[in-house]
Amino acid sequence: MWTIVFLIILTIVIGLGAYFLFLWSVKSGQYDDVEGPKYRMMDDD
Amino acid sequence: MIRCEHCQLPVFENEVIYAEFADKRVPFCCHGCKGVYEIINTEGLTSFYEQRQWDDNTKPKGKELFKPVQINHFEEFVKDGDGNVKTINIYIDNIRCAACVWLNEKILLKTKGIISARVNYASHNAFIVWDSNVITLKEIIDKIVSIGYQPKPYQESEAFKIQKKEERDLLIRFGTAVFLSSQLMVYTIALYAGYFQDIDVDTKIVLEIIALILTTPVIFYSGLPFIKNTINGLRHLHFNMDTLITVGSLSAYFFSIYQLSTGGKVYFDTSAMIVTLILLGRYIEATAKSKATEDINRLYELLPTEARLVTAGQDDTIIPVKSLSRGHRIRVLPGERIPTDAIVVIGETETDESMITGESKPIYKTCGSLIIGGSINLNGSIVADVLNSFDKTMLSDIIRFVKEAQSRKPNIQNLADKVVGFLVPIILTLATLTGILQLLYSKDFTYSLMTAISVVVIACPCSLGLATPLAILIATTKATQKGLLIKGGNIIEKVRAIDSIVFDKTGTLTKGSPMIKDIILVDQTFNRQSVLQLSASLERHSEHCIAKAICESSRGIDLLEILSVEIKPGRGIRGLLNDEIIAIGNRQFMLENGIKLDNLPIHNSQFEKEGNSLIFLSKGASLIAILVISDILKEESVEAIKELKKSIGHIHILSGDNTVTTNVIASKLGISSFLAEMMPQQKQEFIRNIQSNNHKVMMIGDGINDAPSLKEAYVGVSMAKGTTVAMESADIVLTRDDLRLIPMLLSLSYKTYRIIRQNIFMSFIYNILAVPIAMIGLLHPIIAATAMAISSICVVTNSLRIRKCGR
Repeated sequence: MWTIVFLIILTIVIGLGAYFLFLWSVKSGQYDDVEGPKYRMMDDD
Repeated sequence: MIRCEHCQLPVFENEVIYAEFADKRVPFCCHGCKGVYEIINTEGLTSFYEQRQWDDNTKPKGKELFKPVQINHFEEFVKDGDGNVKTINIYIDNIRCAACVWLNEKILLKTKGIISARVNYASHNAFIVWDSNVITLKEIIDKIVSIGYQPKPYQESEAFKIQKKEERDLLIRFGTAVFLSSQLMVYTIALYAGYFQDIDVDTKIVLEIIALILTTPVIFYSGLPFIKNTINGLRHLHFNMDTLITVGSLSAYFFSIYQLSTGGKVYFDTSAMIVTLILLGRYIEATAKSKATEDINRLYELLPTEARLVTAGQDDTIIPVKSLSRGHRIRVLPGERIPTDAIVVIGETETDESMITGESKPIYKTCGSLIIGGSINLNGSIVADVLNSFDKTMLSDIIRFVKEAQSRKPNIQNLADKVVGFLVPIILTLATLTGILQLLYSKDFTYSLMTAISVVVIACPCSLGLATPLAILIATTKATQKGLLIKGGNIIEKVRAIDSIVFDKTGTLTKGSPMIKDIILVDQTFNRQSVLQLSASLERHSEHCIAKAICESSRGIDLLEILSVEIKPGRGIRGLLNDEIIAIGNRQFMLENGIKLDNLPIHNSQFEKEGNSLIFLSKGASLIAILVISDILKEESVEAIKELKKSIGHIHILSGDNTVTTNVIASKLGISSFLAEMMPQQKQEFIRNIQSNNHKVMMIGDGINDAPSLKEAYVGVSMAKGTTVAMESADIVLTRDDLRLIPMLLSLSYKTYRIIRQNIFMSFIYNILAVPIAMIGLLHPIIAATAMAISSICVVTNSLRIRKCGR
């Protein structure tokens, strides 16, 4: 029983972490230019 | 055929410019290209040439390449940072592929003083940060110009800012819904297993409570706009997609809470999934929306910002166009744009009024003639008195017509919404029916109510929100590959409803500029080559479009040096070669020069009846040849019209050109309905009249004079080489000047519509089939989940079938 509770709490914490990362990435404008990364990836420097 | 190393355009042997690079002789078409190539080489950025993919080859615009850019237009957009740091957003025009973006960024980054430069690949906007102590804005602008790109001031319109904010908001809501739903699914699967395997009650309650906690934000945060819209819609008894979603997800939500408290099975996953999938559909719609703005205010860029005021006894002063008013006297030099509507008082010239008529044939202007603001003054210097201030010019009128048409344009209701319109009442009726029947049968009120609600829960199709956006996304991508830029989601559905097409003539059906159709030799000692040589040697001194046509046809021929060249606007050109007078021009010009025009070898009235212009070439006292010039019909136009006649009943041609030429073109294409000499607002009215008789019109045009009609029509299509104004007023832009794209557009839209219909059907058929199970009271969450999954998969795979559409 307690294993389940522990696992649930763990999932929630990790899930929330990922969620906040997502929020940060949207707010810092990383989704504004969707075509760019395709090409920048191939640059040498 | 030698190709310019930089712009890839073919160069004739006698025009090529060579330069030495790393012991190789490299060919160029002009000094502009050579200059850019040098810069790219010195900066070590030659991989640009390996990376680039240009669909069409164009020079970096020749003479305009080094046109000075007005810095003051940019200065108001500079933002100050810490210390000497300044930032600015600039739009870079002429970017044609990813390599161009890369080149701009690299060149800027290598420049001393630039702290950062980042160009957005999608919107071509550059964000530049620089140290104002080391480099000035002017130097930065010049740098961009020097590699062949055109920087323009970038100002986000209010509407655009709002749109960006909404997109971000949608993305966050969607992302939240996805995260929470993913977590929710984990617990849901545990619960499913538990329902079949006798899960321990306490654990079941715990898991269900967690499911409740996860679902609540999805419904009330991510799904908040839907709830708001539903409440608004209920006021007018208006059922749309949002109503369906809200009813479906809320009923599942509250039903599950009830079940939670009485030990039944919960449907939180259905509830959350409905919202999540709809948000996915909305997000696809939002990203598929085109980047092209509908900023009609760019039309004002056509009017120059400054004019030359003439004051007696002094030099001309430069004043802003906005301060011109009736009675002011202005001077316009050859090659300049006319600042505002005016009447000529001194001088004679020819102007290009293609923005009003669509015809690039120059119009002769002399004392008393009206010159139009925004048109181009071709070859004479004139002084004129201002008639209308800048906001009352004919161009401003055109802008007004466009804006009015835009405000009148209704947003059509797409098929999915229509289906929802009658689906919601049906579902509610079925639910009520179930409730009543169950009540009669079991006499248990709570049980009946719950069964009734379960009918609503299962009947709500969640992939309905995906049906249309997905199909449209795939259709739009396919269209772009073929060369059709579609500016919005519901335009494909609109195209399907079209039953009439209106064509502009010049530039759309025809090539747009006059060409030499035939050369008739009068003096048999000359041949075609020598006639062209003589003609071009004279005509190269003129900017007239007929002159350009003659010079085009004589490329590769060595031209002769003609002395004492005189250009007579509206009549012709004359000069001296070996002490003989050579003249080229119209009939009147020949008569003025004493050339006899009787005993001509042809019945020239026959040619003129067909709408051709005749240009006569004379040497000394005798006529040498007659050149037949006309605007030629594009070959693809014939094929395209034939194809279109199969599915469209009404085809019309509206032209600003004269009746004779329009008649000829119309008869060549087999089109019986045509109108000529139409002003822009007349074209617009024509379309408005047809549409008030319940026809849906597609307008195809390319000029500024087509802009009001493009907006007025149900669907507006602009040609590739059209003016920026036309492209902004149109719903669809062709990237190739091939009219055969139109039948292709039609068949794509028919197919897409069929698939949307199929998608909609598949999205609710499984749910409807499961309704009887709910009516009996045997609904299980796993049935709801299965229906959802199958319908989503069907919708997605079916939408992919659009990619197989045709040629």
